[in-house]
Amino acid sequence: MENSTIRKSKVWSPEKIDEIQEKAELGRYRIRGQATKRQDLPSFDDLVFTPAGLSRVALEGYREKCDTQVVIGAGRVKRPLVLETPIMVAGMSFGAINSNAKKALGIAATRCGISTCTGDGGMHPVEREASEKLVYQLLPSRYGLNPYDLKRADAVEIVVSQGAKPGTGGTLLGQKVSEEVANMRDLPLGVDQRSPCRHPDWMGPDDLGVKIDQVRIATNYEVPVFIKIGAGRVYDDTKLAAKAGADAIVIDGMEGGTAASPEIQLDHTGIPTIAAVVEAAEALHEIGMKDEIKLIIGGGISNGADAAKAIALGADVVYIGTAMLVALNCNKSLYVEDYEALGTVPSACHHCHTGKCPVGIATQDPALMARLNPEEAADRVENYINSITMEMQIFARSCGKSKVTDLDPTDLRSLTMSATMITGVPIVGMGTTRKPYWANYDHSTEMTEMALR
Amino acid sequence: MEAVKAHMTIDCNEVSQKDLNKIIADSAKQGIKEVLIKNPQAKHNLGVGITDPIHIVYEGDVGYYACSLSDHISAVVHGTAGWAIGENLMNGEIVVEGNAASSTAASMRGGTVVVKGSSGARTGIGLKGGTLIVGGNVGYMTGFMMQKGRMIICGNAGKALGDSMYAGTIYVAGDIAELGNGAEIVELPAEEYEEIRSTMEGYGMKAPASFKKIVCNGMLHNFNKKEFGVWKTVL
Repeated sequence: MENSTIRKSKVWSPEKIDEIQEKAELGRYRIRGQATKRQDLPSFDDLVFTPAGLSRVALEGYREKCDTQVVIGAGRVKRPLVLETPIMVAGMSFGAINSNAKKALGIAATRCGISTCTGDGGMHPVEREASEKLVYQLLPSRYGLNPYDLKRADAVEIVVSQGAKPGTGGTLLGQKVSEEVANMRDLPLGVDQRSPCRHPDWMGPDDLGVKIDQVRIATNYEVPVFIKIGAGRVYDDTKLAAKAGADAIVIDGMEGGTAASPEIQLDHTGIPTIAAVVEAAEALHEIGMKDEIKLIIGGGISNGADAAKAIALGADVVYIGTAMLVALNCNKSLYVEDYEALGTVPSACHHCHTGKCPVGIATQDPALMARLNPEEAADRVENYINSITMEMQIFARSCGKSKVTDLDPTDLRSLTMSATMITGVPIVGMGTTRKPYWANYDHSTEMTEMALR
Repeated sequence: MEAVKAHMTIDCNEVSQKDLNKIIADSAKQGIKEVLIKNPQAKHNLGVGITDPIHIVYEGDVGYYACSLSDHISAVVHGTAGWAIGENLMNGEIVVEGNAASSTAASMRGGTVVVKGSSGARTGIGLKGGTLIVGGNVGYMTGFMMQKGRMIICGNAGKALGDSMYAGTIYVAGDIAELGNGAEIVELPAEEYEEIRSTMEGYGMKAPASFKKIVCNGMLHNFNKKEFGVWKTVL
């Protein structure tokens, strides 16, 4: 039969056809959770460590210590934030996830000596109780914000934007606006909540400086103040955030997660984390504040290699959100029929926006919530955090560093030209700027001479 | 034992802003009833984060964020106010005798803020409770994403009034340049007018003869593809 071969088009791929037909049904853009699913982004996988050999001495893993502690706000505030390992649990709102998940993250973070973060929607009492170190987010929505919780925070994070969806506000679909969520946010029950993208009471970096001063007064100058920005114009934004007076700057790359966002924005806004960290570190270095202001990098960090490479490129701490949820059980092969009912499978689920999370994390439904045991989940997250810490230490020790934060760009080589262009790290095979000895040969002459012999 | 003073005076020419806020907070904790702030000179962040009851009198203009992130306070500004006076006020009462700049009472959660003059853009933005009274006009995006509470505006309102409001009530006596998405004008019951008149009288203000009542029409509460004309401007 003529033309019997089934050929799929690259232009009109099955995914693209699905997307068009779904929009034709929905009457709006697609909204979903998790993060971009682009396969073509430059990432930390494009870099490798170059461990010690004869030119450097590696540290003995079993005997020689490798320090992981980081302090944010030292010399700037009365009560700096001490992290026992350069990892923080990124902001995820009560609303996006439930109180069981918050509790589990808080218990695990406390055991590991690191912080959790409220996210949008206010400070849930369960989270405050479980988290010894809690970062309180101050967002454009101001949901649940009050001076008492502000004073109970261990750091305050002024959120300008989020890596998954920089330049837009938050979204929480009505199925997740339960009675408790609605009360905490002062919203009508079950509305599709949209929150603003701009803060209500400041517009630019000069105003932001006054705002930071206000927060410092309200917290009695005790705790560090962060500014979080979705990665876009990172170089300029970092300088402006530093000028505004932040103790730490959080840059959230485009691989950052979300509980609900327009899908098209996940894939087409912001810049990748690997590029963001370089721009931010360069900006702080240029204004002479690299040591004083801490740089926190988030967006797709999933293991100790990502974290250590981000640190080597200039970050002081990494923010981890989605991977913490995965450690809780997100996308685990349990309750498979519920994944199927959502039209997905374990390991590919991004249905946080529906409120029907099969494993009981991104839901406010009491029956689904019961599937997440906070104590057991806390054990898993604790194990995960400890694993990443150990992985970071492996790289630091093997590069001859007794402190994870001593890793630097000279410990890295790039596998791709694009990673070299982005990071300035030499590509493998070109240890520094030197060329191999045959690079200066006049090859054409040799060939000619050989031919004439 | 020395009795706690009922009143005290602080001159902004003599103390730093940092010290001033600490003195106010400590005074409130000690039970001092009233503090007079002389020469505020429109400085920013005066009277921030005060959560014990105290009455603060500002003898002049104040800058950004005066009386913000506070609870149980009362304050009078004998002058004008900068951006976001009363921002995130939990409860209490603030009266500005002159005009206020933008973002007045942004995200206020309770209490009453009275501006006897006019107020700028984004007045009452993200309001989460309480009452905001403005004797004059208000600017662009007043009541944007308002969630609860009420606003009483005696003059005119700029464009995008009540845009994307979730709930709450706005009363406007003058002209409305443009209603925001999701806001609509409904009939004002006589008892509500009487309540407004009575509230304003308590602040020595005479209520205009009538008000338009603006509420959320609910069209933006949950997405509906049949209302694309409304949603295309907000999504």
